[in-house]
Amino acid sequence: MTPERWAQIEELFHRAAECGPEGRTLLLDGACSNDPELRREVETLLSCDASAGDYVQAAVRAEVDTVGFPLAGETISHYRILDGLGGGGMGLVYRAEDIKLGRQVALKFLPEESAKDPAALARFEREARAASALEHPNICPIYEFGEHEGQPFLVMQVLEGQTLRELLESRKPETSKSDSSAKSPGRKALELDQVLDLAIQIANGLDAAHQKGIVHRDIKPANIFVTSQGQAKILDFGLAKLAPPVTVIGVDSKGSQGDEGLQGVPHEIEQLPTPDPSLSRTGVAMGTAGYMSPEQARGEKLDARTDLFSFGLVLYEMATGHRAFEGDTGPELHTAILNQTPASARQLNPKVPAKLDEIIRQSLEKEREQRYQSAEELRTDLEVLKRDILPKPVSFRWWAAPAAVIALVLVAAVFWYGMRLPSIVPDLKLRQLTINSAQNRVTGGAISPDGKYLAYTDAKGIHINLVGTDQTQSVPQPDALKNDNVNWEIVSTAWFPDSLRFLANAHPANEDPNTWSSQTSSVWISSVRGEPLRKLRDHAMVWSVSPDGSSISFGTNKGTIGDREIWLMAPSGEQTRKLYEVGEKSAICCFYFFPDGKRVSYITTDESGDTLVGRDLAGGPIATLLPPSELKKIGDFSWLPDGRLIYSDQCNGGAMGVNTPCSFWITRINARSGGLSEKPRRLRSWSGSWMNVPSATSDGKHVAFLESSGRGAGFVADLDAGGTRLVNSRRFTLEEGGEDAIDDWTADSKTVIVIKNRGDHYGLYKQRLNSDTLEPIVTSAAGGLLKSSLVSPDGKWVIIVVWPITGGTTVQLMRVPITGGTPELVFAMRGGGPNFCARPPSNLCGVAEPSEDRKQMIITAYDPVKGRGRELGRFDLDLDYDPNVNNLLVDISPDGTRLATARGPKAPIQIHSLRDQQTQFIRAKDLDNMRGFQWAADGKGLFVHNRREILHVDLQGNIKRLWKCNSDRCSAMPSPDGRHLAIYDWNVTANMWMMENF
Amino acid sequence: MRALTNTHEVTRLLAEWAKGNQQALEDLTPLVYRELRQLAASYLRKESPGHTLQPTALVHEAYLRLVDQKSPDWEGRSHFFGVAAHLMRQILVDHARKRQAGKRAALKVSLEEAVSFQPERSRDLVALDSGLRALEKLDPRKCKAVELRYFGGLSMDEIAQTLEVSPVTVRRDLRMAEAWLHHEMRNA
Repeated sequence: MTPERWAQIEELFHRAAECGPEGRTLLLDGACSNDPELRREVETLLSCDASAGDYVQAAVRAEVDTVGFPLAGETISHYRILDGLGGGGMGLVYRAEDIKLGRQVALKFLPEESAKDPAALARFEREARAASALEHPNICPIYEFGEHEGQPFLVMQVLEGQTLRELLESRKPETSKSDSSAKSPGRKALELDQVLDLAIQIANGLDAAHQKGIVHRDIKPANIFVTSQGQAKILDFGLAKLAPPVTVIGVDSKGSQGDEGLQGVPHEIEQLPTPDPSLSRTGVAMGTAGYMSPEQARGEKLDARTDLFSFGLVLYEMATGHRAFEGDTGPELHTAILNQTPASARQLNPKVPAKLDEIIRQSLEKEREQRYQSAEELRTDLEVLKRDILPKPVSFRWWAAPAAVIALVLVAAVFWYGMRLPSIVPDLKLRQLTINSAQNRVTGGAISPDGKYLAYTDAKGIHINLVGTDQTQSVPQPDALKNDNVNWEIVSTAWFPDSLRFLANAHPANEDPNTWSSQTSSVWISSVRGEPLRKLRDHAMVWSVSPDGSSISFGTNKGTIGDREIWLMAPSGEQTRKLYEVGEKSAICCFYFFPDGKRVSYITTDESGDTLVGRDLAGGPIATLLPPSELKKIGDFSWLPDGRLIYSDQCNGGAMGVNTPCSFWITRINARSGGLSEKPRRLRSWSGSWMNVPSATSDGKHVAFLESSGRGAGFVADLDAGGTRLVNSRRFTLEEGGEDAIDDWTADSKTVIVIKNRGDHYGLYKQRLNSDTLEPIVTSAAGGLLKSSLVSPDGKWVIIVVWPITGGTTVQLMRVPITGGTPELVFAMRGGGPNFCARPPSNLCGVAEPSEDRKQMIITAYDPVKGRGRELGRFDLDLDYDPNVNNLLVDISPDGTRLATARGPKAPIQIHSLRDQQTQFIRAKDLDNMRGFQWAADGKGLFVHNRREILHVDLQGNIKRLWKCNSDRCSAMPSPDGRHLAIYDWNVTANMWMMENF
Repeated sequence: MRALTNTHEVTRLLAEWAKGNQQALEDLTPLVYRELRQLAASYLRKESPGHTLQPTALVHEAYLRLVDQKSPDWEGRSHFFGVAAHLMRQILVDHARKRQAGKRAALKVSLEEAVSFQPERSRDLVALDSGLRALEKLDPRKCKAVELRYFGGLSMDEIAQTLEVSPVTVRRDLRMAEAWLHHEMRNA
């Protein structure tokens, strides 16, 4: 090509590149009318113009990567190394594929020196395992330890995001990048809400570890990972002890190597963590040394408080953008850490609130005794601060970011996060009142009538918070209950009008809140004055205090389905009198006074369902305020002082998916004749959350409520010892918000079926055991909630049961080709129960549905193509069919000969032979609160999930506990070959919030 | 203790090479290569931003470490980058070729020289290199601009200074060159 031609092409290329598509055609038409070759050249270049620079850059960068990451592409043990992820203070980190499990992991290589001290390595391994075993959301789990050519490595969860170090660096204002050896330049601090959010999470992780006696010893920004979803994860627990020792000025650093138990805070002499020695010697970076505590710098014994000092330094840096201590050399830094007090955080960043400044200052006390003594203390202060200054709408985190983790890029998920109903009340203010973690979620609470106090409950007991302040006091557990494991309940109308006293119910901790009754409950009174809890009555469940404070209503005398009587008593617990009573097969609950104190409302439950009724306290006719058809749409409600009703949608625990937008509504009900006298007004919607126990202040301006949200995660474990033991359990799907489940396996036991419900759409996927990607079967289908799915015995279809999203009980049984496609109706049902199939050679499938009168469940055989078949059996129900209750549990044995059934959560499991109609019972003592079961592949037992555990129960009634659940939504599904168990579990977070300005 | 490369020696060799002495380049390559490798490793271990190693950062670091900036033989910063970027290109292309060769020969290599099994990537860089060679014949300045940008990590303004043209020209040069190279690499 001649230079002239080249110049001609270039000229035209630039001109054409500047035009829009139409102008471009015109330009080229004109310029190349006699020169088609020119046109071709320019068009070729134009077609390569987009992101050409990135393409060049990528080629160079990929090669540079392989220079720095020499192991990329190799296979080590069962890990195929994909590429380099970076390097921490200790060594290179690679992304790798676990060939066995088919998931992506991070491989972190430790320095070779660390292998030279096997005792230290073993100690590290033990400690890292212990930290990992905490399975804490703020601690990065380690899956395995290995060695490659003498170099130890550890296998960790792959996280998407960046280290806090990178996050801090990325906020650096533009400066010359070449000047990397200079002192850390002035950076921008993180925003206050982010500082607090991350700090609380880090403190949470530290707290969990410290409680088990595990000290990190090297807390620094590079050891804290911030995922794309803003979750903080502490990396490298225990690793600091492996670091090569560094000479400390004037101190003999010979350490005692006594045996350290993991329990109890270790008190051994420590070696200092340090970055790669070559770096510190050449002065390129001081890394870790900048985050040591004075006791570390002096080579003294370390304990949990050392981490708190280092954490204080991290906090300082997050809040100000500057390191508290800087120095070019180790000795300089040591001197600074030992002797200097850094400038106050507030001085560097005036936006730092005084309280945070104080928290940082206290964390950075040179003497341990002057510091925070535990991570919990520190966290509490941070939480209080956050609550005081950062009221924020709940829905925030659900809209913040799509799927987080590299391994699972769910393209289809994006739109799921996109739907949100508008807040109907624009000025509605939300304020978070409690900040409990998922480990100790708030279970309920009520605001005092004057709005001054919030009484709330969690696993640790009852607490009283002075609303709007950091002052929270815990009510001591009464001596009488010292040895009992109780769950406290504070109902929305628990406060007396004096705003000083309130009532609480004590329930046995092992009882499902859905089945709480007076039989096992007692009523207690407490006050904000700090008097001890006093028992008012046994075998009673309090409902409300009358508006004048003169009487307390409670339920008692449990019948078949619930309490049958409502009584009143004086605040002293005396002067009891029975108010109302219903029959043996009915129940009465939720008794509230109208503001005038003369009219009352309560719910009666009988064959027709739940009805909200009203009547005068003095007697007189009973008016139906809300019939069952209306009431079942309501999640929870309370009366506002002006007589209006505030209620939340029924969006959890029932037919609705948790990701159905859930709203608070206000309406007015005619207290005499019943029915709505005002159109319900939506206050606000949440997605991915559900709300309970609204309680109002007496001026009606504030409503406190409990907001809960869950995130699910799937696991796969191997079954051992005839299915009675779980080994090698590992995370399989990744944490996600939404109503998901691992529902079945394909016939080859190599793939699981995963369902996802998002709002009014559902998706159906399969995921191979050796893969971390979901393959869609149905990407997103509108208008229903996918309740269950299973693979047909011939392996060709996935059979799904779809519920209407808008309530109602017309349920569709549909089939989808396992290779993907559109769901087709097989038949419709009046409501749905369990759906099950045997395994080949049997081709039997069956589904349970209610009879027309809803008094029985009928099990019908079906074929995914031919439709309904013969009836397999009928079961009388104790209570009329209710879609929200598992009143019949059924599964078919893999060989298709036996049905296992249970009528309700506590009934014995019955094994019915379909051949000779014989029935055998499995009577086992601890089978309560069952939520479902699945036959084991060998037909010799069942995997049962209840609210707390997954159990293996053999046909003789022997129980083996396999898995402890985080939530009551945990479920298990064995693979057809009997080798694996897929488990889906939930983490639920719940806190009290307050609404105002509605 | 890390063996420090003799900065005076490197500076002298760079100057020699700039004068056209090809032997200087041969002497220089292993020195710079070793430096780059060590820098790559230390960069990764340092708590530095960005997981992905940037050639940019390496070249800047190498400049600070390798070049005795007070040396009378030294003719200036921009000149160094011109040389260093080209050297970086050579080193990386060599590395990519070796990896390709290693793959073909299925050689067992030492950890230090481990050849990674990523044929696609090494091919990319080799393709880029042959594209650049062709471009150099057509339009040497554009080739130099690409080298400075992607192997030397220079900003537009720095490239403009080095090439003694306006930043606008650098932008146009790069856009044309990138599109052209993209096409060449696609068809390689």
